[in-house]
Amino acid sequence: MKKLIYISIAVLIIVILVISGSILSAKNPVPVEKNNAVQEKVMQDIKTGTGKNDKKSENLKCTTCHEGDYPTKNDPLLRACPREHMIRDFKYMDKGPDEVVIDYMKENYEGVVFSHKLHSEMSAISTGCTGCHHYNTAAPILNCSECHDKNRKREDVSVPDLKAAFHRQCMTCHKQWSGDNGCNNQCHVRKGEKQIERKTSKGSSHPQLKEPGKLVYETNYDAGKIVTFFHDEHNKLFRIDCSSCHKKDNCVKCHDKTKQQGTDGKLKVQKSLDEHHQPCMNCHKINNCDKCHKNSEMAPFNHARSTGFALKSYHSSLTCARCHGNQMPVKKLDRNCNSCHKNFTTGFNHGVTGLTLSEVHKDMDCESCHAGKDFSKPPVCSSCHDDKSYPSNSPGNKGRK
Amino acid sequence: MIPAPVKHKFFTPGVFILIILALNGLAFLAVRFVSGIGAVTNLDNVTPWGLWIGVDVAAGVALAAGGFTSAALGHVMHREEYHVIVRPALLTAMLGYTFVAFGVFVDIGRFYYIWHPLIMWNGNSALFEVGICVMIYLTVLYIEFMPIVTERFIGRVNLPDFISFLNKPIDRALRYIDSRLSITMFIFIIAGVVLSTLHQSSLGTLMVIAGQKMHPLWQTPILPLLFLLSAIAVGFPMVIFESLFASRSFKMKPEMHVLSKLGGMIAPIIGIYLAFKIGDMFIRETFKYITLFDTPSIMFIAEMGLLVIAFVMFISNRVTHSPLGLFIASALVIAGVLLNRINNFIVAYNPYYNPVKYIPSFGEISVTVGCIALLVLVYRVVVMIFPVISQDKEDIIKKI
Amino acid sequence: MKNLNRRDFFKSAAAGVSMVTIGAASVKGADKRLSEDRVGVLVDTDVCVGCRHCEWACKTAHDLPTADLDNYSDKAVFKEYRRPDAGALTVVNEFDNEKNPALPVHLKIQCMHCERPACVSACIVGAFAKREDGSVVWDSDKCIGCRYCMVACPFQIPTYDYDKAIQPMIRKCDFCSDRRDKGQLPACVSICPNEALVFGKRVDLIQIAKSRIKRKSDVYVNHIYGENEVGGTSWMYIASKNFDKLKMPPLALNPAPGISETIQHGIFAYFVPPVTLYALLGLMMWVTKRRKSEKNEKLQENNEEKGVKS
Repeated sequence: MKKLIYISIAVLIIVILVISGSILSAKNPVPVEKNNAVQEKVMQDIKTGTGKNDKKSENLKCTTCHEGDYPTKNDPLLRACPREHMIRDFKYMDKGPDEVVIDYMKENYEGVVFSHKLHSEMSAISTGCTGCHHYNTAAPILNCSECHDKNRKREDVSVPDLKAAFHRQCMTCHKQWSGDNGCNNQCHVRKGEKQIERKTSKGSSHPQLKEPGKLVYETNYDAGKIVTFFHDEHNKLFRIDCSSCHKKDNCVKCHDKTKQQGTDGKLKVQKSLDEHHQPCMNCHKINNCDKCHKNSEMAPFNHARSTGFALKSYHSSLTCARCHGNQMPVKKLDRNCNSCHKNFTTGFNHGVTGLTLSEVHKDMDCESCHAGKDFSKPPVCSSCHDDKSYPSNSPGNKGRK
Repeated sequence: MIPAPVKHKFFTPGVFILIILALNGLAFLAVRFVSGIGAVTNLDNVTPWGLWIGVDVAAGVALAAGGFTSAALGHVMHREEYHVIVRPALLTAMLGYTFVAFGVFVDIGRFYYIWHPLIMWNGNSALFEVGICVMIYLTVLYIEFMPIVTERFIGRVNLPDFISFLNKPIDRALRYIDSRLSITMFIFIIAGVVLSTLHQSSLGTLMVIAGQKMHPLWQTPILPLLFLLSAIAVGFPMVIFESLFASRSFKMKPEMHVLSKLGGMIAPIIGIYLAFKIGDMFIRETFKYITLFDTPSIMFIAEMGLLVIAFVMFISNRVTHSPLGLFIASALVIAGVLLNRINNFIVAYNPYYNPVKYIPSFGEISVTVGCIALLVLVYRVVVMIFPVISQDKEDIIKKI
Repeated sequence: MKNLNRRDFFKSAAAGVSMVTIGAASVKGADKRLSEDRVGVLVDTDVCVGCRHCEWACKTAHDLPTADLDNYSDKAVFKEYRRPDAGALTVVNEFDNEKNPALPVHLKIQCMHCERPACVSACIVGAFAKREDGSVVWDSDKCIGCRYCMVACPFQIPTYDYDKAIQPMIRKCDFCSDRRDKGQLPACVSICPNEALVFGKRVDLIQIAKSRIKRKSDVYVNHIYGENEVGGTSWMYIASKNFDKLKMPPLALNPAPGISETIQHGIFAYFVPPVTLYALLGLMMWVTKRRKSEKNEKLQENNEEKGVKS
């Protein structure tokens, strides 16, 4: 009887094992399938270029960068190539042509003369070279027709054709400037027709832009109506790039025909409160209005008044970034010299302070005179000398060496 | 009571006014056919359909509904007592649809292509269905009217001398037609009712495709049902109105025993229509537009108000048994349905880009009024020639 | 015997089902006839400069009277909002741009070439047709000038020659079907200096529109007008302003002819409802007639009895 029970228990266990095993094995393939699916998806993404990795340029295809069908590690067959925003330096900036003649439509039209130099100069206060040369290489500038098809009827219409590419470059600004869309009076001249006189000839350049010094704005913020903006300080003193504020400026900002005709009311740009403050708030991340909004004009920037640290001799000729770094907001410094002058103690040429130490003093420790390495206080002579004091007695010759 | 040609002098002051109105309409029609639709109407690219479609066609079809409702009552349900109204109703329908067809002919730009739908079909188009049904129904109506013609002329064909040899063959033909028709008439009568049901409802489907261009008070997927119900509702009132009007005009005794009974049936039909209309309004929650008191809301209130008053009047026995009461109540229903069609096709049509709201021009109104005047005149002529209106035997003898 | 009956039943049932499915397929056939590669145009209003050359090209291509191209640079026409009419199948309008007043928004209007066109569904004689490639064209030989297409069109596009008594035309953009049959692009697309009108497969255009909106999300409103409106259109728009501010009608997403066709097919489902109604009325007529004749017979009998008595 007992045997029977054991046998039945054993059989039961076996049955349970078999059943559970089969269930488990049935469940197992699922993750495997998933893996396959993921792998396939990745493969497909690679093929079609729609993966997660290339969020920035969803139309990225192999042929965007590779010229041939079978690139290898040694021979990647790279195009002289358009990788957006990868290269920002224009090596040959000063070698840009004065004029470019665009003559893709030779049959019907005279070539369009584009005053390259003038435009590149003007672009300095807005988009820079990349405004037009939006795809560029470290190598010489590409022809537009490398990417922009000459035919409007084409398979891939995600990139504008050549005609559109040219027109879009010109017309977005010129339309605003002149408010005109005529073809013949600006760029195009039909074959045989008399050449229109061009304002831009070779070598001409844009008149030097005059920079405003101080700008005083009257606002309707009651607690402080007057905001003073020192343009020259920002530009010259703080060495801030024009384009970091003048982001979308173009010719129209100054050459606005409607404004010249005295109807500037229409062109008043409606900006929200945020948009108004944005150029300042980009760097000045402050929340109190009083910082800028005052009841009277602000005085120019004064390092001594603002920070209590007067910039004398050497310091006055330094750029801000030299001490404060390039980052905004600026790095705050304390008044300890060795916060900046790190290798003060060994091999410091004391002569730069305006006092060349005498042979006796030269090899002494800094702390012998500057108690507690506090260089902001006058040095002390009393640790060695009973009857001498600084500055009536100096430990060397006045004057730099 | 037997149908007989009415003996009465044709010209009365009223008739002269009608003739003037008709001639005025015809003058504007001439302009339309010479210089185009734009020369007469206020229609433009924003409002392509106006008074002519709204009244001449849509309201015309609705008001001619007396033909099929009375045919259903008299012939299909064999309620013999109503036979006296069947012939006048048939004549109204026949003339009504003839003028509807004429209205379409006037309104479509290429009137000479009016036959195109016969061979160029588009089964998806509600207008195609309306067009085909109206064409067939008009034919059916003429066939239904044939027995009246044969009755009038069998044994009495009397052509002028030079073609008098045709008297006999024509008489024989009429007899043949009469004998054939008396066997097959039931086919046409039923067909007439079915065709009417179809196109009365499809007339409602017409504006469904306008979608958001139509004011939500009227735009509903049950428009076809509402159109059918309102057409049925206006059928008997139209018959009553006409009968009372004709008996007054021809100085005969109104057939109150029939008309009162007929009047008793109207209230429930209007009730059903109103129930659907108001129910639809609550389901789609469009009642909020009523309180805006802009043009559509006022027109909607007017349309509903007329029918509600008529509904209340028809419930009362006193009204249905007095000629004046019946006349007014019927007129209210007719006005209500007419306004409903105008609302659906003109007032409710309010597209997104609509700089100038359409108001019919004097020319359009002239043509519409002219057509109605012409219709009344033709009606008068026909009842004087053919045995349409039932009269007491003594009356007939007396007048003769 | 029993088996046979059953088999017959299944056969007829199957036949019934297949008929129903064929019917359903034919109702929805309109969608399936369209090519996967059907074309469209993406109008990028941010790129459009409002030169109106498309207007000139359109008129020239359709033999409509037009001024010289040089005259089109006149911006005075923008003072009034314009609509297409019998003399111009497409027009460009100007709208204020609050973000930059010097760069107003321009928007070209023409037939949208709906995926499920209301005009095709509405036309009494089938003068409108949706071609496989997506365009909606009108056949002058069929048209009777009833203007129902104009009532039906959710975009208010078809126009009519109100001043012509003989052979007035319904006019609307025909997607330059003649030019395209010759392998050319539509006239407006071809002349556009900035390729603000991008011609291509509809599926591609939607992708391009999406990527442009994504790339310049600060400029564009996140809405491709025409992607889903009234069941989708072949011409689509992206813009820097809400479309109702550009006077494009805010429309529902269900196809324009949808409800109307459903009702129509419901009433005429293979003529079953009309025929049933016909049969019912016939039956009613027959029943009432019999009842009436019975009544008459009884009446006659009564009369006879009365007569006998009297």
